[in-house]
Amino acid sequence: MVETGKKTRLHDWHVQQGANMARFGQYDMPLWYRAGAKSEHLAVISASGLFDTSHMCAVIVEGNDARGLLQQCFSKNLQVCIGKQQSPLTAGRSVYGVFLAENGSVIDDAIVFELNDQLYLVVVNSGMGPEISAHLRSHSGNRSVDISDLSDELGKLDVQGPASARILGKVLADPERVFAELPYFSFKGHFDPASPLSEAAVLLDGTPILLSRTGYTGEFGFEIFIKPEHFVPAWERILAAGQDYNLLPCGLAARDSLRAGALLPLSHQDIGAWPFINNPWEFALPFNADRSGFTKQFVGADALLNLQDDMYTYAFAGSDLRKVTAQDPAAVLDRSGETVGTVLTCATDMAIGRHNGRIFSIASADKPAGFQPRGLCCGFVKVTRSLQPGETVRLKDNRRSIEVEIVTDIRPARTARKAMARFLK
Amino acid sequence: MKEIHELNLPEEVRYAEDHEWVRSEESKFIVGISDYAQDQLGDIVFVELPEVGAALSKGEAFGTVESVKAVSELYMPVGGTILAINGELEESPELVNSQPYGQGWMIEVQPGEAKEIDVLMDQKAYLEMLKGL
Repeated sequence: MVETGKKTRLHDWHVQQGANMARFGQYDMPLWYRAGAKSEHLAVISASGLFDTSHMCAVIVEGNDARGLLQQCFSKNLQVCIGKQQSPLTAGRSVYGVFLAENGSVIDDAIVFELNDQLYLVVVNSGMGPEISAHLRSHSGNRSVDISDLSDELGKLDVQGPASARILGKVLADPERVFAELPYFSFKGHFDPASPLSEAAVLLDGTPILLSRTGYTGEFGFEIFIKPEHFVPAWERILAAGQDYNLLPCGLAARDSLRAGALLPLSHQDIGAWPFINNPWEFALPFNADRSGFTKQFVGADALLNLQDDMYTYAFAGSDLRKVTAQDPAAVLDRSGETVGTVLTCATDMAIGRHNGRIFSIASADKPAGFQPRGLCCGFVKVTRSLQPGETVRLKDNRRSIEVEIVTDIRPARTARKAMARFLK
Repeated sequence: MKEIHELNLPEEVRYAEDHEWVRSEESKFIVGISDYAQDQLGDIVFVELPEVGAALSKGEAFGTVESVKAVSELYMPVGGTILAINGELEESPELVNSQPYGQGWMIEVQPGEAKEIDVLMDQKAYLEMLKGL
């Protein structure tokens, strides 16, 4: 028998619903439910999906010098990060970035939420709470800052897809007020009833939540942070409210295929023990205008500016749905057949397909008539030389080799950044 | 995931350790994958089958079945010559999920040694093996 992992509060529910469970990090998590990963993936594109993500960790950084410590350790420049104006991070806004080691490699990626200018919530991956807390402490020096790891003290669920706001509208008290001025990467409320922020986002039964317009599917939606004791009732209420909107509970398989098609990296797989640069996620680095350096000094910056060996990470898309198995391992071969790297992620985005070479999604406004895609293989490769978009390489595992195209984007017509108004109708 | 008692494990087929099944029809064998295998794999999105006429020995890979989760080899539960493949799976691979012993069949084999089927597990033995997994 396989050793069982930690359980989220929904574990029994997952099993009762017939989920296929698997170990992810320290936790037993659902891969998919009875509907299957393909239906779950498509539900997030066309309706909505509900994900148990309470295996993720959160760390509170609090004190007069909290911002200064994050400026030193987090890759984003918190003074220059919000919107086209690149204005400072303010209360109610959040920002994506990475925590690097001195050698420029990735400890983990994270979203930093500013609750107020002396209170930040840092959301990191499963099992990473203790390591990120220790990393922050090791750089805190004489700073006036408290770091507390909320691992296992917080529930988290994601509602993702175009119907998500209408579904949450049925369970929120005063949804109009909650959804007003809630752009991408902003949030309202607090899961702690003692916080003065908590009255800004409350469920109909009075449960305070932190409601964030973020997610990891590339689609419009929300992440909800909630006290563990309220987690299961909130899940069930949202699921019930979603019945009229074709909401499906979704497992990690759909989360993986959705995020791959949305060009989002999986920490410790697509980013990890190598320098965080020359990849599709350089927007998480504080480059200056001419990219000659960074707009701030931070842990890992010197290593990135003085690289010894260049490595490049690119997104790719295949010509059909067939995958290679990245763990096989799978190699990347250039046109001459020379091995130039390895496959980091290879998944199938089931909502997309090619028509005359171009990638369309079932959500594309200009999709061809009768478009019924079977999916496209996509993901990320790490190679030893630079490649141009449109170039083709072969991915080869022990079973097969497939030709894929280096691309700058994968699934078109994603909704994550679209204005709230269109999703409230 | 299906509980053991929910699995559809017909008595008239034999089972291999790699979860293929074999049904004897006249002098030929029909081969597919078991309900347990399709449930473990999840949504099947692509099935790769051999050329008709190929001669493959017992244990040799005859194709792959690709789900959202993984790409898995399919192994010959008995040796023989491929007489036919299920062409419907090219357009509708999900038949392997919905009807693993019916329309989701994969290959028809002219056995080299018909007795090879006798060493495969009957339903009871296969069920015992699954309980031990």
